[in-house]
Formats: sequence, structure tokens, C-alpha cells
Amino acid sequence: MAASIDPIHQFELQPLVSLGHIGNQQIAFTQSALYMFAAVGVIALITIVGTAGRSVVPGRMQALAEIFYEFIADTVHQATGDKEQRFLPLVFSLFMFVLVLNMFGMIPYAFAVTSHLIITFGLAFLVISTVVVYGVMKHGSHFLGLFIPAGVPKPLLLIMVPIEIVSFISRPISLSVRLFANILAGHIALKIFAFFVAQLLLAGAWSVLAPLPLFLTIALTALEFLVAALQAYVFATLTAVYLADALHPGH
Amino acid sequence: MNGNDRQDENQGNRAMATDSELSARLRRLETQIDRKRPPAAPDPSPRPGSSGAQSSLGQAMTLSTEFIAGVIAGAILGWTFDHFLGTKPWGMIVFLMLGFVTGVYNILRLSGFSGAKNRKDP
Repeated sequence: MAASIDPIHQFELQPLVSLGHIGNQQIAFTQSALYMFAAVGVIALITIVGTAGRSVVPGRMQALAEIFYEFIADTVHQATGDKEQRFLPLVFSLFMFVLVLNMFGMIPYAFAVTSHLIITFGLAFLVISTVVVYGVMKHGSHFLGLFIPAGVPKPLLLIMVPIEIVSFISRPISLSVRLFANILAGHIALKIFAFFVAQLLLAGAWSVLAPLPLFLTIALTALEFLVAALQAYVFATLTAVYLADALHPGH
Repeated sequence: MNGNDRQDENQGNRAMATDSELSARLRRLETQIDRKRPPAAPDPSPRPGSSGAQSSLGQAMTLSTEFIAGVIAGAILGWTFDHFLGTKPWGMIVFLMLGFVTGVYNILRLSGFSGAKNRKDP
């Protein structure tokens, strides 16, 4: 039995409830949307239940909620240096959303929502729109100072300003591609190595080697948990760094 | 004429300064350069995730995405330019090169080789 290996299959969208058609495109409530709702539910559970008791000595749930909150508050404060923590709710929501979705993806047979570029790009676009809208609202035309690097001689500005503008446009792209690529690559690698185990077991005498990819799969699983958490953290930090630009653009 | 000669003489005198004086001046220059230089590479703020123990694999991933993002951004800009202004090949050529430069610049900034990155701090 030489089952063909199809590591991409896990990322297919499956419509659960069809909501009708626009042109030829089916509009459906997919399992991806279901996972997102579930993530929001889990986050709401952690935060609402966690803050309901408000005891001085935190229980388990409260400790969990407090850890997340303090972690993000610290990150935002370090990146923006903002005393009012205006952007804390946004960064906290993004972090929790990405983290919970990444962790959902690690459950066997579950679907990794963040392995879809459109999801991560949607989040990154939200961040960049916030930067632009808030920056223009707060600083008006001074916001364009963002594109003028400090301490660069005048003639060089002719080259540096276009570079800075392209660099700014590349931000949402790199923000989204990084998260998406990490999750996608990790899940594909896991699938392939796990498949090696099955293939080797079916390969007669070669099945002695089967434990090797098995160990690798175990190690990769651990690594993927790390990546899932780390990428959520990187996403939140970068968001905070970009938002800092909206608060203090250029000089 | 006269003034010039005197200046030359002065410089000649200065060149004969003792070794210790020269080395002292050299040291002063070094400290001045150090002060002008951007704070050493592992500046905490803009580099995310690099808090100490980012794996080299993660760093490679970050840097490559940063570079690719620059090129893609250039390509998108160039395509849009051409599409709306009808300057068929030129917008793409110019912006793709600009995107390439941006990608390299992004990598330099992230890995701390360029001084331009501390602009994030007010």
C-alpha cells in the first residue's frame, strides 16, 4: 500500500454551512471561521473568568490571565514608551488571537487558521491601517517625517526617502508572511516526517529504521509549540514597534 | 603667500609632536567616533524576538522574509504604477530595483549594521 503523501491536504477549507453564492464563488461558513469563533470563545473564557474573582491571591485562571496581561503590557510599554498604554487592547487582542489559533493548530487533526496568508495579512493590514490612521490623525503632515531618516545628509535623502516608503509598504507583507510561513512550513514538515514513519514500517526490513523519524517527529512537535508561541510574541512585538511609529514619527 | 608659509610651518611643527601626544589624540578620536556611532548592535528596542535566545533558524527566517517582503512591496508598487499611469515596463523596473535595495536595507537595519534604525526612539 503506497498511499500517496499529501501534506497540503490539511490546509484545505471545508465549507460547513453554505450562505449562498456571489457570482461563481460560494460564500460559506468554513471550518476556519469556526476555529476563529472558538478562539474568541476561549480568549473570552480566560479573560472573563480570570478577572471575575479579582482575588488578591490569584487562582489558576486569574494567574493565567494576569500573566498574559502583564507580558503584553510590558512589551507594549517597552516598544512604545507610552504611559497611557493606548494600544494595549489592540496588541493584547492580536496576541491572544494569534496565540490561541496557533495552539489550536497544534492539536492533532485540528486546522491551523494562521497557515492561511489571507488571515495573517488581514491582521497585518489592520495594524498598518491603525498606524496610518492614528498617525495622520495625531500628527497630520508631521507623520510624513516617518519617511525621513534622522542624520542623513541632504543629497542622500533623494534615495533614502523612496527606500523608506517601500520599506514601510513592505511591513505588513513581512509581518503577515512571517507568521504564515512559519506555521505552514512547520505543519508540512510535521506531516512529512510523520508519514516517513508509516512508510518505513511498511518497507519490510527497513522498518528497523522507523523509530528515527518518529523521534524527529516528537522533537519537531516540541519545536512547533515553541514556534507557535514565539510567532505570536513576534507578531505582538512588531505590532507594538510599528504602533510606536504612529506615536512618535521621525523627528 | 607669507601666511601660507607660516601655516605650513605650523603643520610641520605639529607633525613632529611626540608619540605620546599622537596616541592620546588617536584615543580621543576613537572615543569621539564611538560616541557618534549608533549604540552597539543588540539595541533592544526595534529588533523583536531577538531577546537573547532566538535560534539561528528563526533569525534566518526573519531576515529572509524581511528581504522577500521588500522585493514584493517593490513589485506591487511598480505594477500599480504601470497599471494606472501606463508606463508599462519602467515602473516595474525602477520599483523592483528599489524593492531589492529596500530588502537589503531592511536586513542591514535588522541585523544592526546600519545607524538608521535608532530613529524609532524619540
